[in-house]
Amino acid sequence: MEWTEENMLLLIPLGLGWLAVWWLMPTNTKRPRILGGLAAVAALLMLQMMLLPPAGDLVRNGLFFLFAGTAVITAGLMITDRSPVYSALWFALVTLAVCGLFLLNSAPFLAASTIIVYAGAIIVTFMFVIMLAQQSGTSSSYDQQPFQPAVASLGAFLLLGALLFTLQEWGGIDGKNAPDEPKTGQFVALPAGIAANPLSQAPADNPREIGSLRVLGRSLFGDYLFAVELAGTVLLIATIGAIALAPRRSQGTL
Amino acid sequence: MLEQLINMFPEWARPFVMPLLTIVIVLQVNLGVCSYLILLERKLSAWMQDRIGPNRVGPWGLFQPVADMLKLLLKEDVIPGHVNKVLYVLAPGISVFTTMLAFAVVPFGPVPDHLSSTDGQFPFIIAPGIDLGLVFIFAVTSLAVYGIILGGWASNSKYSALGAMRASAQVVSYEIPLGMSVVGLALLTGSMSIEKILLKQADAGILGWNIWFQPLACVIFFAAAMAEAQRLPFDLSECEQELVGGWHTEYSAMKWGLFFLGEYTHVITISFLTSILFFGGWQFPLIAESSSNYLGSTLVKVLVLMTKSFGFIIVIQMLRWTIPRFRFDQLMGLAWKVLIPLATLNVVTVMIVKQFQLNVWWLLPMSAGLFLGAGLVGTQSTRPFARRKTEVAVEPHGHHAHAH
Repeated sequence: MEWTEENMLLLIPLGLGWLAVWWLMPTNTKRPRILGGLAAVAALLMLQMMLLPPAGDLVRNGLFFLFAGTAVITAGLMITDRSPVYSALWFALVTLAVCGLFLLNSAPFLAASTIIVYAGAIIVTFMFVIMLAQQSGTSSSYDQQPFQPAVASLGAFLLLGALLFTLQEWGGIDGKNAPDEPKTGQFVALPAGIAANPLSQAPADNPREIGSLRVLGRSLFGDYLFAVELAGTVLLIATIGAIALAPRRSQGTL
Repeated sequence: MLEQLINMFPEWARPFVMPLLTIVIVLQVNLGVCSYLILLERKLSAWMQDRIGPNRVGPWGLFQPVADMLKLLLKEDVIPGHVNKVLYVLAPGISVFTTMLAFAVVPFGPVPDHLSSTDGQFPFIIAPGIDLGLVFIFAVTSLAVYGIILGGWASNSKYSALGAMRASAQVVSYEIPLGMSVVGLALLTGSMSIEKILLKQADAGILGWNIWFQPLACVIFFAAAMAEAQRLPFDLSECEQELVGGWHTEYSAMKWGLFFLGEYTHVITISFLTSILFFGGWQFPLIAESSSNYLGSTLVKVLVLMTKSFGFIIVIQMLRWTIPRFRFDQLMGLAWKVLIPLATLNVVTVMIVKQFQLNVWWLLPMSAGLFLGAGLVGTQSTRPFARRKTEVAVEPHGHHAHAH
């Protein structure tokens, strides 16, 4: 009980957010959507104390709110929109907004490559499939209704809650007033072996270079070489598997 | 002179003056150039087809773009009843916005060395000092396909939907060779910044142009970029003979015009990029070296770059009537079976040269070898096709002569 009281500030917005998303999910019955919207706004406002960035300069904070707000709101819209095409578009906007956050945290290459891969390729493929399956105007009910709205959103909010609690452990509300200076340029402490590698350090004269292509490449192909090669191999196997699974032309494709 | 202009503004506004001025100039020049490129395209088409072309408005038809613009602006702006209105209106805007945004990192003249936004030097680039200029351009142009997809889907017509689906598959495929083709350049220069790639070639002189070391990459880049811009011979998404107008079938008046503004801006960006990445940018022997500092040298450099880009625009427009449109399976085959392996091998050659510290000139025979090898493989791979032909059962009493 004590724990619940202590963490009221997180539990109430999480519950409100869950209610809002569940309420906004498309259904057959007419619901006043404004109620869900109000609940969502209330949840965001309560969480705001935790999510506010530390006091920084005005432009940075403004951009942060622009990108973060867009990301959260469009993510909600993506889940609750009735039309799959609009959902895919909101997803594209979520990706763009998150890339804006990457840029703010001086990771331009991550931002650009996320745009190329997600917004430029994956969501375009989604759109391709949706267009094949569903023409504008015609609507099939199975595409427009969630199967388990309450349970699915509960699961998602449990995950979100776990994330927020972890963040709180790391600083959260109490650590908020710490000055906004990246201490080593990393969010999580590096393993000792990697921290000792001179290649993965930002040059002393230009600490902003930590997110640049040069440092990123050195880190990926120096410290994390094994993981990178492993991921590449898994992708290659997946590609070969996809080609093997696809029917031959002689067997009649499509 | 520009410094005085900047000083007329209050302190807080000064950093914004030069970028805004550059944006306004680029935008206006771009709009004017685009409208005259349409006239040029029509005249060139006419010339290649032995016609006269537009010649009624003004001397030699020179005022034709004005008439076209007026027509597009004054025409009734029809929004068909069966469309999804929001996305239908949004699509042309996305097309223009993304292609114009891509131009932000393209230098169109000699970018000064120590640029600050308040010292009154004209920057010759909208967003100077972007380290990842090339990646930025690919990211933004990969978004341009949303204009086509949304336009095609929102139009709610079969022609539009078919065109949009072709476009999405095409753009996703051709992004890969486009990105891969410049990896070699990035390795040679040690930077992804367009300005740095330009400066390196300019300092090295005409024999330092990247075309000598990366001719294959240049061809791949040019082809993939044309496919990204949906220009003939890659314009399967608008394919007039099959799809009426493809994704813009249901569009009229200025919305239609915006789609074409986007396309021509894309063509301009491609031409600038090709001349900057592979042909030395504003560098030209004797008249525009990086050391030349005479009065008006800046203007000459800008003109050199413009001339090079103009040459590529002409090439793009002449290609339109030179190479017939691909079939869709050929289009996909070209990307996945030819351009992507070639681009990968090209990166491997650059890696070999860098790793073993060979002379960069080794890259020229290596590229030529790759090109010839690809050609050989290409001719070899048509063999099964020939064999299949002979395997067709020949009718014993057929009239072969009529079959051919």
